[in-house]
Amino acid sequence: MKKQFIQIAFALISAWTLTACNDFLDITPVGKVIPETVEEYRALMTEAYSRLHTDRDKVTFRSDELTMQGEQDATSLDSYLDIWRWMDVGADEATLSFDWGGFYYVSYIANNVIENRNNITAGTADERRQLAGEAYMLRAFVHFCLINLYAEPYTHCDPATTKGIPLKLNSNINEVLARNSVAEVYEAILADINAAEQLLNVEQWPEGQTYRFNTLSVNAFRARVHLYMGNWQQAYDYATDVVTRHGALEDLPTSTVLPNHYLSVEAILSMESIFLSSSLGVGYVSSDLLALYRSGDMRKNKFYRQITASTAEMLKSGAEEFRCTFRSAEFYLTAAEAALELNDTDKALHYLTELMKKRYHSAQYPKYETLVRGMTKDELRQEIHDERFRELAFEGHRWFDLRRTTRPQLTKTYNGETYVLEKDDPRYTLRIPAAAIEANPGLDED
Amino acid sequence: MRKIECTLLLLFAGLLATTAQTRTVTGEIFDKADNQPLIGATVAIMSKAGTVANGTTTDLDGKFRIEVPVNVHDLTCRFIGYTTVPVHLRANQNHYKIYMDNQSKELGELIVTGYQAIDRRKLTSAVTTMKISDEKIGAVKSIDQALAGQIAGLSSVTSSGSPGAPVKLRIRGTSSINGSQDPLWVLDGIPLEGTDIPSMEELKDIDNIYQTSIAGINPADIESITVLKDAAATAIYGARAANGVIVITTKQGKAGKPQINFSTKLTYNPKTDIDRLNLMTSEEKVNLELDLLRSDFTYRETKGGVAQILGEYGLTDAYKAGGWDALSPEAQSAVNRLKAINTDWNDILFRGVFNQEYNISLSGGSDKATYYSAVGYYVEQGNVDGVKNDRFNMTLKTNYRINSKLKVGASAFANRRKQHTYLTYSEGFTNPVYYSRIANPYMTPYNEDGSYRYDTNVQHSRGDIAPDFNIFEERANTQNENTSTSLMSIFDAEFKWDEHFKITSQFGLQWDESTIEKYAAHDSYAMRREKVNHIYNGSTILPEGGNNKITENHRTQWTWKAMAEYQNRFKEIHDLELMAGVELRHNEDKSLYSAAYGYDRRTLTSVPIIFPTEQMARNLPLHTETHLENAFVSWFATGSYTLHHRYTLGGSIRFDGSDIFGVAKKYRYLPLYSVSGLWRISDEPFMKNVTAIGNWGLRASYGLQGNIDKNTSPFLIGQYIKTTLLPNNPEDAIRPANAPNPDLRWEKTQSANIGMDISLWDEILSLSVDYYYRKGTDLIGLRMLPLESGYSSTTVNWASMKNEGVEVALTTRNLRTKHFSWFTNLNFGFNKNTVLRETVAENATRPSREGYPVGAIFAYKTAGLDDEGYPLFLNRDGQKVTATEFLKLNNAGASTLSAEEQRNLYSYIGSNEPKVSGGFMNTLKYKKLTLGVNCIFNFGMYVQTTPTYDPTNYDRGLNSNRDILYRWTPENTGASLPKLMTRNDGRTGEYLRYTEQNLYRELDIWVKKQNYFRFESIRLGYELPEKWLKPIGIKSASVSLEGRNLWVIASDYHNYLDPETMGNPYAAPIPKSFIFGLNVNF
Repeated sequence: MKKQFIQIAFALISAWTLTACNDFLDITPVGKVIPETVEEYRALMTEAYSRLHTDRDKVTFRSDELTMQGEQDATSLDSYLDIWRWMDVGADEATLSFDWGGFYYVSYIANNVIENRNNITAGTADERRQLAGEAYMLRAFVHFCLINLYAEPYTHCDPATTKGIPLKLNSNINEVLARNSVAEVYEAILADINAAEQLLNVEQWPEGQTYRFNTLSVNAFRARVHLYMGNWQQAYDYATDVVTRHGALEDLPTSTVLPNHYLSVEAILSMESIFLSSSLGVGYVSSDLLALYRSGDMRKNKFYRQITASTAEMLKSGAEEFRCTFRSAEFYLTAAEAALELNDTDKALHYLTELMKKRYHSAQYPKYETLVRGMTKDELRQEIHDERFRELAFEGHRWFDLRRTTRPQLTKTYNGETYVLEKDDPRYTLRIPAAAIEANPGLDED
Repeated sequence: MRKIECTLLLLFAGLLATTAQTRTVTGEIFDKADNQPLIGATVAIMSKAGTVANGTTTDLDGKFRIEVPVNVHDLTCRFIGYTTVPVHLRANQNHYKIYMDNQSKELGELIVTGYQAIDRRKLTSAVTTMKISDEKIGAVKSIDQALAGQIAGLSSVTSSGSPGAPVKLRIRGTSSINGSQDPLWVLDGIPLEGTDIPSMEELKDIDNIYQTSIAGINPADIESITVLKDAAATAIYGARAANGVIVITTKQGKAGKPQINFSTKLTYNPKTDIDRLNLMTSEEKVNLELDLLRSDFTYRETKGGVAQILGEYGLTDAYKAGGWDALSPEAQSAVNRLKAINTDWNDILFRGVFNQEYNISLSGGSDKATYYSAVGYYVEQGNVDGVKNDRFNMTLKTNYRINSKLKVGASAFANRRKQHTYLTYSEGFTNPVYYSRIANPYMTPYNEDGSYRYDTNVQHSRGDIAPDFNIFEERANTQNENTSTSLMSIFDAEFKWDEHFKITSQFGLQWDESTIEKYAAHDSYAMRREKVNHIYNGSTILPEGGNNKITENHRTQWTWKAMAEYQNRFKEIHDLELMAGVELRHNEDKSLYSAAYGYDRRTLTSVPIIFPTEQMARNLPLHTETHLENAFVSWFATGSYTLHHRYTLGGSIRFDGSDIFGVAKKYRYLPLYSVSGLWRISDEPFMKNVTAIGNWGLRASYGLQGNIDKNTSPFLIGQYIKTTLLPNNPEDAIRPANAPNPDLRWEKTQSANIGMDISLWDEILSLSVDYYYRKGTDLIGLRMLPLESGYSSTTVNWASMKNEGVEVALTTRNLRTKHFSWFTNLNFGFNKNTVLRETVAENATRPSREGYPVGAIFAYKTAGLDDEGYPLFLNRDGQKVTATEFLKLNNAGASTLSAEEQRNLYSYIGSNEPKVSGGFMNTLKYKKLTLGVNCIFNFGMYVQTTPTYDPTNYDRGLNSNRDILYRWTPENTGASLPKLMTRNDGRTGEYLRYTEQNLYRELDIWVKKQNYFRFESIRLGYELPEKWLKPIGIKSASVSLEGRNLWVIASDYHNYLDPETMGNPYAAPIPKSFIFGLNVNF
């Protein structure tokens, strides 16, 4: 009897605790989540987009877009001066470091979404496919930025043997990677874009969400990748496709919206914020760039504001509303450049003048049309490059354009001292940051 | 049928016989301890079968009257809580005086572990129990202070002398590198939440007034404290007990007449004397400033009273060129006036204070129910003016015996605490203790018209735009108040099926609520400073007025446990005890922060802030909330088997399960176990004739404890945040918290303990010695990851560490005569901690602790000064070299050595944890006088102190100690402290190393020994004679006088107030105090 009582009591207690316990322990902490649904994976992707800092503000300092005159406050000056004058060895301690890990943080999230694309619950199939497609695009974009910052330009090396950057194609955090070749990286980028093409299905995001990849950005991205690879035919095909589908241009003489504004008719993808408000005002628009604008070019006064006789500041950067990655004008210029390299001068002139019409005062435009139509091929090539500089300055293109084209000699003066980046200078390629090498010494081997 | 008749007949005959032959027995029953009559005690005639045949109970005076058959010769007297007394009736005596023994003495032989009460004779683990009494602990303010020096192997470090400051306790050294190192506190069986002490770094921020939940317990309510030290004792508590367990048992009522106890302690804390700091007088300071102004040392050249006067007269350059004689007579007399002012900052910032504590308790009960209720109030004014701490306690405790099988109890502990101070900042100078050391003696706090004079010398940052600061204004116009209310309620029930089997259950509920209110009026440095920090387009975005910031914390926890216990003895020699149980625990922490600006205290109104940009709004959140919830389920079991009352084998096991979010269910439960044994040598037959040895036992135990990092998961866990990518479109985003690591293993600690207890010659000498060895493997820490992973580090198992040590507790009865006795208690623990493995980053320039203690202090060995007044270093070959040669410095002050070579330049000096710590207590009694002397000591500890002056950045705007006067100068080449260095000395590399990398701090001369022996308490108590008290209805009363912290004997702590607070210039010194105590029982 007593024994029985004990047994029953025991059985009851253990049965009750065992069943009740797992429920009791299932506490979801407030604000914490393991992503499962489409909505949660979307929020995860939003984090990836918001943390995509492409370091293109820093390389803007490296290019010929800015001058520094020492009138800035000391902290900002110290942060950027040695980047601006290409002093990579023995740089001041306060110099901003390039954020290698930040790129891979974004690709970590992208990889996570790609790996879990079949486990995402709720939502429609299209929503899930769209998420995975964006993840592929984002991963490709991260690799594309990295390869153009840290490896020799595709057009100036043997891509098959030149070391590029490590391709991170899974979310395993313990994996130690070596650098892939430049060719392998470009192949992976194009493969990711292909994969994304199969999945993306949103043509147009509502206002406020246009930072997300849409279907049009597939070919826009391809056009840029092939341009950087010097694959003129593909660059031309994709660029003209983008122009056909989304050819609207802001008419600067009449428009009040800057073309790189996220609400501009040109906007295709408003993803990157190149200049933060903090880096704005550290340098001034270089006088060489200002001199490049011809009289009647509406961009000079819309893009910049003259402060003193020798200094001007940018108006097209420094706020979230100027997020811009792909916009129509870029593809007119890409099409023009590719057509020219394919010896189709007519097409080149067509796309170039289509853009010029919207940029020059109508009274002045005919003069410049006549000018470009009378150019030799070499002159025209230079004109297209210059037009690209004028149009896309401070949007993160210039440094990459310098690299993929002629890697010219650049000269800068600061406090009476002159600094020179020689033609084809190795400093056209960034050194992998010390922090990254410290964490993975294998990256150092060239 | 016949049989029944027969029985009836016999019974009837018997009854007749008893009625016929009885006698009346009367008597009185007293408590043996205090001669008080016992009310409600049972006096019974027992039948042969052992049941009560007839009985009665004592009345209010303890008297009884019972009819006893003449053939009955024995009575038994029973009373709950007392040992049953058999009374043999003599034929010719009908009145008896009976004295009963309170069982508490026997209960002392039971060790309360929080889960069980274990017979000391079966105790296999390392456990120390301490009865709490005024005589033992003196006038402590909180229970953590009471433990200092009382228990071998428990080291205590007082972090600060300010009221309510927590005491850092360590049981057997440090066991974890990243996790908590604080022991687990248990109140009457229920583990407490909120007992972890913040790190020493955080404690430097005086603004952060902090108390653990321990501070709410009134020491006057505590009966005893048990410290569980080895794995055999703590395994039952699971993973939380890795740092040891402190079990508090509170007082409860005893059956008997109601007892009223009143006690009070009146304390006087004299003003702290800061002469030990060796601060400069006005004359010395002014002369130093005059000297410096003519030297080439230009750091903060415009600061200080002299520079300001010369600046006003426009004579700075003239003075630099021509010296004193170049000054106009007016300027000279202005400087001389400065010398004549001597503001004693100590005198005006600190005070002597009277503090009070009152406790009153009422207790009593019958054999059916007992009760204990108490209220207590304690208030402590800080020696720092404006600092106050008080506590109000209420305790209710009742126990009921429903019937012979069921007992229930309920208790409630409520307290409300208030800590009041004013706003200070972590950067330090607004802290009054620190300010008293840096304020210039020639500076006065008020202008002649009575308005505040702002100190323009102390502001460290932002040069000219630094806001106005005056410490008296700050004290008047800001407030920092922490009000905590907590309620702990415990219900327990015991169902005793029979003498072998019982079920017990306990439910505990803890509610802690605290409100921290930080108020700054418009006219305060705190407010001005905040305005400067939020500037847009040249003006502040904050509205006119003050601010009020309120943080509310709510903590709720409940614990429910149920246990079944079985015990039996077989064939007289086999004792078996088994216990199994289950425990559920749930806790929830919530906090709410709210800030108001443009705040007016009189109207409680505030003004909204107009934020010009979203970024500025993000930088100044006005409302934040946190919420944290955890649940735990545990199963546990213990068992012990004893053979021949001598050999005991014990074991315990526990599975802890918790709600680790994002962890597969199979990883939820962690088994922890221990095995242990005891051999009571003194009970062996062969010891029978050895009368000198009263008790002699050997103990051994081994156990495994573990812990897992709750923040690392194999899955991606995210935290919701709000982000805005494009204008006007705020969105939810999920930010992955930590890098998931599927490879993470449990952190494990294995511990072994061997102990011996012996008592000799009727307890003239009792000795306990324990040796322990604890090894932690797979300790959890951070490891660097390749950045391509997307993360910079993850949590990995990266280190291992061992602690080994010996603990000795020795109690001796040195003398005992009829009127005089002298007891000594010496206990000490020797602990050696060694880091066995530690992964150090490739580029680290500070050495790995591998082979050294976890608290290792490394420094550069120095060898005096060279002939230019720069420090010389001792290299590995024993040569004296300059810093440039030692560190191979280039002109930019950077070392050209590899990181590994730089690591090798350091020498190990010592550990910041004591090698030996303990206590030495003496109790002398003569008749009704008791003298207690309690001392505590810590030896073999080092501390890295802040240099007394910075050779490159000596700030002449502040006062400092006199070391600066003894620095190396061309006239004083025999000095041991370096010169004030400048960039123009021609030693740029060294100069930069000192000024930018703070090389001076790394010198071995700043690592000080921290050995001390403190006379913590000297107490003289006197029990008032009964004959005085009886007429006024008082049962007993005693008075006492106590001095606390009167002396300390220590290795050199020149320039510091106490050896304990050497490392922290912001800590209030440990106050001396004199206490008068009165204790009355009605």
